[in-house]
Amino acid sequence: MAYKVKDVSLAEKGRLLIDWAERHMPVLMKIRERFIKDKPLEGVKISASLHVTKETAVLVRTLVAGGATVTLVPSNPLSTQDEVAAALAEEGVHVYAWKGMNEREYYNAIGFAISQEPVVTMDDGADLTVTLHKLALGVKSSETNYALETAGDRDFAKLISGVYGGTEETTTGVIRLRAMAKEGTLRYPIIAVNDSYTKYLFDNRYGTGQSTWDGILRATNILVAGKIVVVAGYGWVGRGIAMRLRALVHVG
Amino acid sequence: MGWPWNSHEAKGLGARRVIVTEVNPVRALEAVFDGFEVMPMSEAAEVGDIFITATGDINAITLDHILKMRDGAVLANAGHFNVEIDVAGLERVAAEKRRIRDYVVEYRLPNGKRVYLLAEGRLVNLVAAEGHPSEVMDMSFSNQALAVEYIVRNRGKLQLGVHKLPDELDMEVARLKLETMGIRIDQLTEEQRRYITSWGLGT
Repeated sequence: MAYKVKDVSLAEKGRLLIDWAERHMPVLMKIRERFIKDKPLEGVKISASLHVTKETAVLVRTLVAGGATVTLVPSNPLSTQDEVAAALAEEGVHVYAWKGMNEREYYNAIGFAISQEPVVTMDDGADLTVTLHKLALGVKSSETNYALETAGDRDFAKLISGVYGGTEETTTGVIRLRAMAKEGTLRYPIIAVNDSYTKYLFDNRYGTGQSTWDGILRATNILVAGKIVVVAGYGWVGRGIAMRLRALVHVG
Repeated sequence: MGWPWNSHEAKGLGARRVIVTEVNPVRALEAVFDGFEVMPMSEAAEVGDIFITATGDINAITLDHILKMRDGAVLANAGHFNVEIDVAGLERVAAEKRRIRDYVVEYRLPNGKRVYLLAEGRLVNLVAAEGHPSEVMDMSFSNQALAVEYIVRNRGKLQLGVHKLPDELDMEVARLKLETMGIRIDQLTEEQRRYITSWGLGT
């Protein structure tokens, strides 16, 4: 099975979404140009557990341009954009993702990512890295049982010893992986992309700040002016949300 | 009953307030200095119209908090996992539950009040909207692409552990982003570079 998505006929709509994202991601497009020339990822098998969005598609296309074979699964059961998943599937990316997965389907997807025997993992929340480690260490849980349904019977200890390294996108994942490193269970090096200045100072603040309000307003269409808003947590995300709110209603 | 704007409700409606809840004293102090009100969630629960969790931890909003909320309160989560609002507790006690809009579920509480949970308590920005705008993901995912390349180039040489991407790659992303936005910045002069990297030059 090369892919499992909701409806591959959505691909054309997905391509338009991805084109739109590419138009607004000039830095990544510059990196893609270099990747096309240098092929730094030739023959590299990557499994990524990321939100399957139009922006992720731009990243995946860039990795493919660098010579990699990419498997893409979600990092949240509800965050997949089905049009984007369809477009990537049609382009030959091993996509196992649709919006509205239950827990079993979600970990089936994670298991599928593992079954592709990656040498690099990419994570947003660390579910892929953690599940691979649990399988390699023989830790049993409902999650690993679901993952095994698609990961198949293989030597996970050997698989994990072949992994060059992994990346982690978000604060929550970095915290989990640091805990594993501290405990001595981590089996391959991780680059905490979240900890780059050009990530957390912008994505966590301006990205989440704006998109959280976008989500709330699209969901409810309520007027924010005049409301009392409570933000729990004043990390980079919390301050971004509070800051954008101030811009929306001019509160002090 | 006095004039509506003297009543408790009118005060709540008229005042546009942003309340921050925190457990870390430094962050709480920053929030205060940034101009936001800070108070415990048990107090904020009684006054808020819209609640947004961004703690990365479980039960930032507990069932007790929810039971204290005003009729019509909206609950949303911006943290990575769906653990920040006690959805299970809400499901357990709800007298009635109905989906009002695509990503809005109404729960009628045993006390008769209603609260509205968005996107099942999962990441509201990705479930009900499209996640972060492309312009900001440009930087995050440029870091991802460079991180993968870095891992592949340095395979077998990286120490076991969690590392930051080297600063020069991080700076390169910022440099390219500025370039694509048509924004130029100054460069250190040779004299400035020498001054800032030496320890011998004082007053």
